[in-house]
Amino acid sequence: MVLSAKPTPNTWCPGCGDFGVLAAAKKAILELKIPTHEAVLVGGIGCSGGIHNFIDINGVHALHGRLLAQAVAVKLANPHLTVIAAGGDGDGYAIGMGHFMHAFKKNASILYIVMNNETYGLTKGQASPTSRLGFEGNVEVPFDAILTALSIPSGAFIARTFSGDPKTMTAVLSEALQFNRDHRGYAFVEDLSPCVTYNDTFKEWREKIVNIEKLPGYDPSDRSAVFRLCSETMNAGKIPIGVMHRPKPATEAAANPLELKLLPDNIGPALADIQLDHNLPAYQKLLASAA
Amino acid sequence: MTTPAAQTSPQPTDAERANRRPTKELVDVSVIVGGQGGDGTLTVVDLVARYFRKRGLYVYTSRNTLSRIRGGHADASVRGCRDPRAAIKAKADLLLAFDQEAIDVVRSELDPDALVLYDSTTFKADFPNSLGFPFATMVGSQLGQPIYKNTAAYGAIAVLMGFDDAITRQVIEERFKRRGAEALDKNLKALEIGRSAALEVSSAVNRWSLPEGDAHNLILTTGNQAAALGFVVGGGRFFAGYPITPATEIMEYLMKYLPNFHGVVRQGEDELASINMVIGAATTGARAMTSTSGPGLSLMTEGIGHASTAELGILVADCQRVGPSTGQPTRHEQSDLAHLAHLGHGEYPKFILSPGSAEDCFYLTVDALNLAEKWRLPVILLLDQALCQNASTVPAFDLSKVKVERPSLLTAEQVAAHETYKSYAFAPNGISPFAPVGTAGVTSQITGNEHDEWGHVSVNPVNRQKMMEKRMGKLTQARDDLPRPRYFGRKEARIGLIGFGSTSGPILEAMDALDAESIPVKYLQARTLFPVQQETLGPFFDSVDLAFVVEHNYTGQLARLIREEMPQHHSKLRSILKYDGFSFRAPDIAAPVREAFHGAKR
Repeated sequence: MVLSAKPTPNTWCPGCGDFGVLAAAKKAILELKIPTHEAVLVGGIGCSGGIHNFIDINGVHALHGRLLAQAVAVKLANPHLTVIAAGGDGDGYAIGMGHFMHAFKKNASILYIVMNNETYGLTKGQASPTSRLGFEGNVEVPFDAILTALSIPSGAFIARTFSGDPKTMTAVLSEALQFNRDHRGYAFVEDLSPCVTYNDTFKEWREKIVNIEKLPGYDPSDRSAVFRLCSETMNAGKIPIGVMHRPKPATEAAANPLELKLLPDNIGPALADIQLDHNLPAYQKLLASAA
Repeated sequence: MTTPAAQTSPQPTDAERANRRPTKELVDVSVIVGGQGGDGTLTVVDLVARYFRKRGLYVYTSRNTLSRIRGGHADASVRGCRDPRAAIKAKADLLLAFDQEAIDVVRSELDPDALVLYDSTTFKADFPNSLGFPFATMVGSQLGQPIYKNTAAYGAIAVLMGFDDAITRQVIEERFKRRGAEALDKNLKALEIGRSAALEVSSAVNRWSLPEGDAHNLILTTGNQAAALGFVVGGGRFFAGYPITPATEIMEYLMKYLPNFHGVVRQGEDELASINMVIGAATTGARAMTSTSGPGLSLMTEGIGHASTAELGILVADCQRVGPSTGQPTRHEQSDLAHLAHLGHGEYPKFILSPGSAEDCFYLTVDALNLAEKWRLPVILLLDQALCQNASTVPAFDLSKVKVERPSLLTAEQVAAHETYKSYAFAPNGISPFAPVGTAGVTSQITGNEHDEWGHVSVNPVNRQKMMEKRMGKLTQARDDLPRPRYFGRKEARIGLIGFGSTSGPILEAMDALDAESIPVKYLQARTLFPVQQETLGPFFDSVDLAFVVEHNYTGQLARLIREEMPQHHSKLRSILKYDGFSFRAPDIAAPVREAFHGAKR
């Protein structure tokens, strides 16, 4: 056995919501028996983005806001890998917003976890895109990632979890990863993950969360129905959590994930044989046709 | 090699003189076709280029288009020559004009003796030596549609320039056979309409004969196409980019080529996504590239620094155009070099390579891929608009000259023989062997944060210093690996020229002209621009009294870079600069050199 990079000691504040995500992700990977070398965690910038240091799989530390671009490419370059992108709400919904929207369009079979704490914790508590009005002088309307995700036509798996409920979170992450591994496309999970130092919302959120799956009329294959339930829940001052979109397999033919559309042979750029002599006839043909 | 000027045939008799002008034998001819975008000027240029190639002439074509889809003035030129020329001829011999604007725009580029052939359907040319035919009307009335006016005009050009009839027709057949029988038939008829019209007046204007050349078995290609082909055979398998002139064709070619080789091309939502996709792909060991131009390069700068610190070998083709900002998107400049040489915040190593011809674009892209992977850093392939988009005839690409080398890459079998695997292990030459993410038996940490050998974030000052020295040391360690310049001209010359990219074409042509005047000059075509290659530039400076750095920018960016690194040669440095959006013509370069030569003699 070759000794290679191992997880480093955790640096998060005691009680940080991100511990919930880390524990759930570790459990889900174990449950699904994913070999460590076949799993990659692409982390963003911010406290939550450091998660790749604390888990025994491959870690790629991306630039601020760019983790989705890198994660999608990891999957396309080597479709055999299980790819998780994970970062915070600033990373995903502010500087990375363009990639957030396009990830649904791209529909690569990767899992994106946003640890939403409604603040920039690492830079000491500024307002983030999801901050409520008045937080640190915030005068902008808070962004809601679930409503946005539901409004984009896609075959993505969409869910919201709460770090105060690790059991449900593990189940959701397992389902999302299995969804990816079955090449069913993109999975997006927003975890409500309080920052105990700059925006400790554990108590408030625990009181406000409503499991949408228990509401009458809930149908995870019907995005518009779930959108309405979420809106109504939010209008009542509550926070909806649960699986927001679980597409029916039958509807997915039209939404084939990106890696299968591009790589029907499932080999991909990383595993392609690029030795010159193995490709000579094909290269000669290419040069002749291009001339 | 000399540039024979236009020659005049034996004097005609008085009777002949009354009827016809003298016939010129042209060994170097340039035709411009101009009109509104959508007039199909490129079709005529393509037809003439095909004819020249069949006659064994070297061909160089260029386009002058505005940044809009249809309408607005557009012109294109084609040069046919018995000598290999990769430059626009200083003065054109014939202009085919579809409107007066075309004449006004290119007037200054026409030889005093040039003929303007024009479509008189809608206007009468304001030009002394002109010949009009109502191509659109003639074709419209006989074939029902005026769109074949281009082919008719090509027929007229063929007569006026003394083209061989059979080959003229063969060109049409080859160009249009794939469009179906009807299109081919109509184009052949349009050709005859144009030919007949010109034949009626040819005794009065027939002025050219075009001798055959010996340039056979060449391909006509652009730098963008050659780079795309080089990327494929060099093992490139992942490409992400965002459309931007003049880089887009690289992506378009690869969209065609790569799917046949388990490759992937993605059009990113922006340049930020594109560079980061390339970075993501590189973590898995795929050879990956993006192509862009100035504005996109600015957006990619953060990513390039990240790749260098994360020690990921990636390739970035920068297809320079007029900047800054949106500048002139379709025009030519070489003004990104200073930005690239000092790219980004912080300090990190990268190589900047510069091919000097379309042919060089092919081979240097392969070298760039090998170097990026071996040295685990970003390599910039520095192109420019003229190199990217102008087409020239070059020898067919030779796969026996291509090598795909992967010395830094560890396979699962190789890594299994080790006790430890560290992504960033210290090594004497700065290269840590790399087991890509996904390699069985190991896990890795890849990061742009400062890190220890394992890839774990580190703020340890001793480690920071060692890691900086490991990465920055690659710039020295790699020197023997980096592409060498190409040298041209007379060894004994005391005047030197230094250039890069597409300027090589006009420089070599200027040198032939100077040689004919017994002005000895030599030329160093730089192919590695960064790190500044002191070991090749030094001896070159030592061998001359004066060195002109020829480049397309205002501030003399390469000259400044050389001055910065080699101040001892400051007094020998001169600049020949052009920053009007057009590429050098040979006389632009020959004139200051000639002046310096005669000045030195006085």
